[in-house]
Amino acid sequence: MGDLKEYLPILIPLGIVSVGLLIASLAHIFTHKKYRVGNRALWVIVSFINFIGPVLYFAIGKGDE
Amino acid sequence: MKAFIAFTKKEFTESLRTYRLIVLAAVFLLLGLMSPLTAKLLPEIMGSIDLGDGVFITMPEASAMSSWEQFFGYIGQMGMLALIITFGGLMANELSRGTLINLLTKGMKRQTVILSKFLTASVLWAGSYALSLAVCYAYTAFFWPGGVLSNAFLAFFSLWLFGEFLIALLIFGGVLFGNFYGSLLGCFGVIIILSTLNLFPALSKFNPSSLAAQTLNLLSAQKEAADYLPAFIICAAAAALLVAAAIAVFNKRRV
Repeated sequence: MGDLKEYLPILIPLGIVSVGLLIASLAHIFTHKKYRVGNRALWVIVSFINFIGPVLYFAIGKGDE
Repeated sequence: MKAFIAFTKKEFTESLRTYRLIVLAAVFLLLGLMSPLTAKLLPEIMGSIDLGDGVFITMPEASAMSSWEQFFGYIGQMGMLALIITFGGLMANELSRGTLINLLTKGMKRQTVILSKFLTASVLWAGSYALSLAVCYAYTAFFWPGGVLSNAFLAFFSLWLFGEFLIALLIFGGVLFGNFYGSLLGCFGVIIILSTLNLFPALSKFNPSSLAAQTLNLLSAQKEAADYLPAFIICAAAAALLVAAAIAVFNKRRV
């Protein structure tokens, strides 16, 4: 692989956004007990699917408040 | 009009509170970032695979066009998937929870609900798409300066238009089936049919789904705008028709 430095301006924001999404969905999963479908273990695993996981959780899994 | 504004405000607040807005923006930001990166890394990754006996795959050097190729690939597939999942419950959730009953019995017109939801979803989609496009454009210009895009507006507009078509389809499916999975399955069903029709090259001129995948050829000037004009018109008309049909079905439907 070539010089990693060349990719840094794109890797840093990419990392921040995808880790941000992961943390946001994990934080929501662990602070809420009820889910519309599935259980906590399922959603924790699903969250790790890159960017589609959190989308799925917030669209389907998140319970109503 | 007052009801429309109030309901639209409620829709935006809902999008904010259900994290719909922020998640959609984040996903499209990611896709915009990934496109130039994938374009840059792909030749290196492919080049490092040893097929045995020292045979390597050689790919042409990445260019601005390969970045846009990735962009169309990501937005046309992953982006649309994210869009479908996010807006699948737009109409269906309200119907299955019965949250519209109060508003409708107070005299709000039913068409207000549909039009307002369509407007909100369109704004969210346009915003996230613009974000993704801006990011991809900036990084593509940064990595491969001095490229010229032909038909840029039409090519990017076509992806957006296909997204609008999907939103209209999701709202119609939501009204028709009344639940999230019905709306989702209906949308996937139509996409599968349209993609199957795309196997026939003669039809792709008229097929809305070619707007999501093939208008890349406009950017590289391999095709002309006129080649996709029928698909544009059919896609826009289908979206408008679906919204009208959603209103008609919703007017007859028990809430």
